[in-house]
Amino acid sequence: MAEDSGLRKKIEKHLLSIQKPSRYIGGEVGSVVKDKSRVDVRFAFCFPDTYDIGMSHLGMKILYSLTNERENYWCERCFAPGVDFEKIMRENDIPLYALESLDPIRDFDFIGFTMQYELSYTNVLNMLDLAGIPIFSRDRTEELTQIVVAGGPCVCNPEPLADFFDIFILGEGEEVNLELMDLYNEMKQQGAKRIDFLRRAAHIGGVYVPQFYHFSYKDDGTIESVSVSDGAPETVTKRIIKDFDSVYYPDNFVVPFTEIVHDRVSVEVLRGCIRGCRFCQAGFIYRPFREKEPDTICSETKALCENTGYDEVSLASLSTSDHSGIDPMLTKLLEYTEKERINLSLPSLRVDNFSESLLEKIKKVRKSGLTFAAEGGTQRLRDVINKNVTEEEIMNTCGIAFRGGYSSVKLYFMMGLPTETDEDIVGIAELAQRIIDLFYSIEDRPKGRGVQVSVSCATFVPKPFTPFQFEPQDTREMIEHKQKLLMDSVRTRKIKVSYHNPDVSLLEVVLAKGDRRLCRVVYAAWKRGCKFDSWDEHFRFDKWLEAFEECGVDPGFYAHRRFEYDEILPWDHLDYLVSKEFFIRENRTARQNKTTPNCRERCSGCGVNKRVGRDCF
Amino acid sequence: MSSAVMRLRAVFEKSGRAKYISHLDLNRFMLRTFRRSGLPVWYTEGFNPHPYYSFALALSLGYESSCEIMDFNLTEEMPLDEVRDRLNAVMPEGMRVLSVSEQRLKITAITSAEYSFSLVTEQPEELYAALQELMAQPEILVEKKTKKGIKTVDIRPDIDIVSCEKSGDSVDIAVRLPAGTQTNYNPSLLIGSLRDFCDIPFEEENIKRTKILCENNEIFS
Ligand code: SF4
Repeated sequence: MAEDSGLRKKIEKHLLSIQKPSRYIGGEVGSVVKDKSRVDVRFAFCFPDTYDIGMSHLGMKILYSLTNERENYWCERCFAPGVDFEKIMRENDIPLYALESLDPIRDFDFIGFTMQYELSYTNVLNMLDLAGIPIFSRDRTEELTQIVVAGGPCVCNPEPLADFFDIFILGEGEEVNLELMDLYNEMKQQGAKRIDFLRRAAHIGGVYVPQFYHFSYKDDGTIESVSVSDGAPETVTKRIIKDFDSVYYPDNFVVPFTEIVHDRVSVEVLRGCIRGCRFCQAGFIYRPFREKEPDTICSETKALCENTGYDEVSLASLSTSDHSGIDPMLTKLLEYTEKERINLSLPSLRVDNFSESLLEKIKKVRKSGLTFAAEGGTQRLRDVINKNVTEEEIMNTCGIAFRGGYSSVKLYFMMGLPTETDEDIVGIAELAQRIIDLFYSIEDRPKGRGVQVSVSCATFVPKPFTPFQFEPQDTREMIEHKQKLLMDSVRTRKIKVSYHNPDVSLLEVVLAKGDRRLCRVVYAAWKRGCKFDSWDEHFRFDKWLEAFEECGVDPGFYAHRRFEYDEILPWDHLDYLVSKEFFIRENRTARQNKTTPNCRERCSGCGVNKRVGRDCF
Repeated sequence: MSSAVMRLRAVFEKSGRAKYISHLDLNRFMLRTFRRSGLPVWYTEGFNPHPYYSFALALSLGYESSCEIMDFNLTEEMPLDEVRDRLNAVMPEGMRVLSVSEQRLKITAITSAEYSFSLVTEQPEELYAALQELMAQPEILVEKKTKKGIKTVDIRPDIDIVSCEKSGDSVDIAVRLPAGTQTNYNPSLLIGSLRDFCDIPFEEENIKRTKILCENNEIFS
């Protein structure tokens, strides 16, 4: 490999005193090492969480390989160090470095973060700080280097992060990332300044340069207007890959030495979702629905298994069973995986099209329990959220599963959904009870084992770019009342109920729906030591409350207030192809307890087809 | 089910970044290496078939080695060099198969192993003298964790210093220690004893297993 920066010795000196050291030294099979003297643009792909989590992320694998296909560009990986190693890094002046070259990322051309969840925001600040990169965009050099960018689902409302980033990339990155690097490369050679680059970059589709957008607020705290400077476009539209079947897909992954969360080959079978569940951001921001041909899926699976040596593959999508060719696809895949003794796992299967023949096929490959996202306890509430699942379908599926030898079922629900009443909460317990009754009514149920229904309740978090983006979140008191009610309604130990921490959900909604005034709060929270907020053991709600207080920001303004239909939302200048009128229409339909058919059944006119210039189906 | 027609033994090197692969992770790593190589490895039979391979000795995290031993079987005949090359073609930096041969001795024939390491210090003379003095003691007692709890053992009779040299800023040692199914001593026992014995500050570096031996200190193969 190319000569290293001298950091390696410093790092190795401490590696044996920390947890799972192989996470910090690179050198894994499949990692790409280049001669840096022959590279024009260096990109540090940063995941704002630990290696174990970040290495499981599919988007990173795609963009890593895609960038490295270009001979003169080098993409490397970087993760948040664990608390033990961070301490050592700070004590010994080890700056945050990339795993392939072990060079400090502050020397890179691009420092790119993928923002997958709101609770990783403070980690970004911590990583920039560890890297020795100014945390605020305005404090960075005028030279053309160290461009800090972000992509991922959270950047559909990036305002709470706007002060820290130079660029946000909206939508799918496969094309725009390279366009951005090409422009950079060209301008770097011309000796351009950072600001010149940002001005031109703002004209690449999908590129949002937050410093060119200026917010003013009304007395009541809502947004008065957004003005645009430096010739940037009024709205920025997300990028999508039109020809999804032939989009670049890696034929190799970096194979970690240590075990990671999703330690297997992952093959993307479709993008988007036909369903339109009204709470689900992914269901809207990834539209339109596109799928890969079964043949493409099979050959990508084969190449990846051969090159990585993994003996497990999973199919990645929002809802794999919605693939129009699910049966031929699984048949073909199983032919290969069985011969090669590879495990095929199928997450995200839906209840309603879970046929007996499909169950037969996956029974061979699936050993763990069944999980269903019912989300709402009564049919009325499920109609409100457009989770088009009926109780009959849930019962049918459980029946098939019980006869097939399963005896435990896990059900996911949300609490605090729009229009929810006590009746809906009691409905959760009743539904779980009916599943138990069903189990005992089945003659050929699994013998010798009791039935177990686990009920997992999350607090509803309204998200931008969903029909529920206008909705308030329940207050803590309301949630606590509902939790108690549910506990009181459960009368058997066969039902186990678990909850998410409502404080975490409160922070999520504030960061999801917040505006630019939240940047100060994020900074203040990080200054107070907040990081790894998604980890129970690190989450410090008291520190966050202090940060809100210090900045004079009321979290309730974002969390518990209804956003009006005609209000300027913090993300209204960003365009994810689905129209705001559609979200308003859907919000009204929800309030009438009415459902909307899925996209394959009938187009509901969300606007995506017109924008893409073709029918979705 | 195909049967094992070649019973093979690979000697491999583990160095550089690869020394941070733990023994547990090495198992998973080899499984994937075999799969990538496409070699016709023999699978165990039974409920959960998996490729069969086994390591002669575990190597501590952070140690390098030029002599690790792994046994495995193939279901088809093929030239030994080809087996070696196909494994090396899919190994990462720091992992390299040096040779592949037929299994000669049983793993239980292993009696000892040799290690080399450096003790980096600002007082090499004093440290060198301290080590000599330590080795001149009638006994060196250490606490060893066993299955039945902590036990005090005398490791002196089992330590065989093969060479010991001082340089400008270190004392460089080669030592032979018992290894195998009965007793396994690790250089850190000796290093720990030295640290307790004298108060000269030093840091151990570049610990490397260099030989795996059987009866009469012959190379195990
Ligand atoms: S345009 Fe119609 S079919 Fe396409 S995503 Fe929108 S609602 Fe669905």
